[in-house]
Amino acid sequence: MNRTLEHILPKVQKPARYTGGEYNAVVKDKQSVDVRYALCFPDTYEIGMSNLGCRILYGLMNEQDHIWCERCFAPWGDMEEEMRREGLLLYGLESGDPIADFDFIGFSLGYEMAYSNVLNMLDLAEVPLRSADRPDLTPLVVAGGTCCYNPEPLAPFIDFFSLGEGEEVTLEYIELYRQAKEEGWSKEEYLREVAKIPGIYVPSLYDVTYHEDGTVAAITPKDGAPATVTKRIVQDMDKSYFPVKTIIPSTEIVHDRVMLELFRGCIRGCRFCQAGYAYRPVRNRNPQLLAQYGKAACEDSGYQEMTLSSLSSTDYPCLMELCDDLLDYCAPRDIGLSLPSLRADTFSMSLMERLQRVRKGGLTFAPEAGTQRLRDAINKNLREEDLLQSVRTAFSGGWSGVKLYFMLGLPTETDEDVLGIADLARKVYFAWRECTPNRARGVRITVSTSWFVPKPHTAFQWEAQIPVEEYQRRVDLLRDAFKRDKSITYNWHDPQTSYLEAIFSRGDRRLADVLEWAWAHGAKMDSWSEYFDYQRWMDALAACGLSGDFYAHRVREKDEVFPWSVPSVGVSREFLWHERELCYQSQTTPDCRTRCSGCGANKLLTGGGRCG
Amino acid sequence: MADRLLFSKTGRARYISHLDLMRTFQRAFARAKIPIKHTEGFNPHPFVSIALPLSVGYSSQCEILEFTLLEGTGYEEVPERLTAAMPEGIVVHQCYPAQRKLKELAYLNYIMNFEYPEGRPQAAEPAMRELLGRDSLVVQKKSNKSKKGYTEVDLISLIRSWNLECQSDTMTLDAVLSAQNPGLNPELIRAAFCEAYPQFAPDFVTFHRREVLDGEGKPFR
Repeated sequence: MNRTLEHILPKVQKPARYTGGEYNAVVKDKQSVDVRYALCFPDTYEIGMSNLGCRILYGLMNEQDHIWCERCFAPWGDMEEEMRREGLLLYGLESGDPIADFDFIGFSLGYEMAYSNVLNMLDLAEVPLRSADRPDLTPLVVAGGTCCYNPEPLAPFIDFFSLGEGEEVTLEYIELYRQAKEEGWSKEEYLREVAKIPGIYVPSLYDVTYHEDGTVAAITPKDGAPATVTKRIVQDMDKSYFPVKTIIPSTEIVHDRVMLELFRGCIRGCRFCQAGYAYRPVRNRNPQLLAQYGKAACEDSGYQEMTLSSLSSTDYPCLMELCDDLLDYCAPRDIGLSLPSLRADTFSMSLMERLQRVRKGGLTFAPEAGTQRLRDAINKNLREEDLLQSVRTAFSGGWSGVKLYFMLGLPTETDEDVLGIADLARKVYFAWRECTPNRARGVRITVSTSWFVPKPHTAFQWEAQIPVEEYQRRVDLLRDAFKRDKSITYNWHDPQTSYLEAIFSRGDRRLADVLEWAWAHGAKMDSWSEYFDYQRWMDALAACGLSGDFYAHRVREKDEVFPWSVPSVGVSREFLWHERELCYQSQTTPDCRTRCSGCGANKLLTGGGRCG
Repeated sequence: MADRLLFSKTGRARYISHLDLMRTFQRAFARAKIPIKHTEGFNPHPFVSIALPLSVGYSSQCEILEFTLLEGTGYEEVPERLTAAMPEGIVVHQCYPAQRKLKELAYLNYIMNFEYPEGRPQAAEPAMRELLGRDSLVVQKKSNKSKKGYTEVDLISLIRSWNLECQSDTMTLDAVLSAQNPGLNPELIRAAFCEAYPQFAPDFVTFHRREVLDGEGKPFR
């Protein structure tokens, strides 16, 4: 171990985050590989190590003899301070070598509030922040993840973005890089060529012009770059890489358990949900294969907990069969099985019995809106009777707490809808009184609301986020409504980060300066209240002469050129507009399994298959 | 009585905390497919207990873990199988049925290495000898139990024996310290030295636990 690191570690909190050496961490001989890849997660070790995408890419790349992929996370403030004082550059956890010397520095971008950490990590690595200031072929700074469907605020910093699922395209761009290195290409030559790989978006190959009012006038591709870059998907989930052997951290992380990914995509089509559109089409994994993976992963890891993961697990067609299969394995070994992402209308007695066989976790449902009208408008398609039936089932079965998630500020929301949240929570409370076998134990009903953030590539991408004063008024309205309900706890999300998310999620390239200004003035770890400073971001916007409200609170014209016009998730803009119109008519769209609505995502299936 | 493991914890594994280390062992037993006794109750989990928690950052070649091996695994096959299931830096040396009580564990032998990369001041050695040669050396030790927030301990009474050796850029203290009721963390010796002789404060100090001893100074197993 590096001596400087050894001297620093006793001074910092939770040093095991910074050492590497965990079970299943991959150590290779650096002389025998020709591509070194730093897989960077712009948040703490505990968060990043929990990320399924990173587990997949790490395993997938390291399966290749010629690639050595190492991990890199954002150090906490105390560690950063020591690193800067001692001149220790950001290093890969496996080798301890500075990532500046690697071939690739690849970031996983899952949420906007991590952007400042991307810049901070580049700086800690002593890698110039802007692509234009990195003339050499290496290191190439790349990024993938959900944020890349509108990566514009990061465009000047990142050499290229990988859109969609990385299983195949990652190896393709690495292969092209090997050729580039062998044949001595310049960085420009490589970027021009890599832009020809489907799913790769090279932002420097597009000129963006703006109207006087600040909206985008045109995005012009150059050097043969494609006008549209469509995301990549795995065609067959049964043939795709599954990380059976994963790194088992020696210190506790957020999701410290086996993660079994049931399927990708979601059949539901909730109009606010970016994941619901961006991960289309639905592709299931075979239940026997999943059971096999799950058992193998438990054996290899020694984990005492397994979780089934997907966007909506109760929509998995073979859920009962899979649960039974897994429970036969888990129960005698005291391995807990948890099932997040349950839809409130499908929580049945048979499922409950299965979940109770091992350990009883909490129960969380997300009705998202308080009235049937608004739930229809956002296409949540959850009926009140179904939700109440589900909680009755749960309460009869002995559950004594439920969490309910809602959003405030959804398009077409009225005060009636806001107050409907309180009504619904009360009905849940009465369902408990009616069904609980043990009233003396009491009940905990937690209602949480967040401030709706319109996201790109959704039916609501044209919408304005409601003003903060209006959000606060609706929170107060709801808080008053709950005043006398002792058994209901009401939590609401702080509006400041939601406002910034609204700015950056639909932002354009001009926000890069805001980001850099904020970073230069100390922004980092913005998803942590210890570090987040709202005023700093307001100052950054002012310093760059930009208005946050322009991005967050403005309704877009139907035909406006969006900053995210080049990246495509495979869902047509016409479909999204139609969905928006249906919202204003409170009309629902059936789920993809009931009827195909022709969003366009099935065209991503090269075999011409149908989704679901 | 329970079964025991003797293991070492060095290199990158030094930074695994006590609680994390217990979790690591629980998982490693499962990975190695060595069945061990679980706790009973609402949330059953594999039972393991580590004697005398080691401070984060210290290395050791003599850690003891208690657990109960279930039928089907022989003692002799445990060290190799378990080590293969461990993160880098943890090596299991022995597995055996416990024959003595843990309270018989009286002393710990620590090696403290004072590093002076720029060269060791000549006078550091006599300074350390002077310090450890005193009749008593009372220092304050943080305590959550005491109302004052600290208690006073006399280091000298808790040091059974010591030996000092010096090289050009290091000073190595080999000391046998009281292990429990109360135990002495060698960090207090470092702190006392740096307080008494700030001019000889080393650049860095490493701590290594070399042996666990019984009341007679013989290795405890």
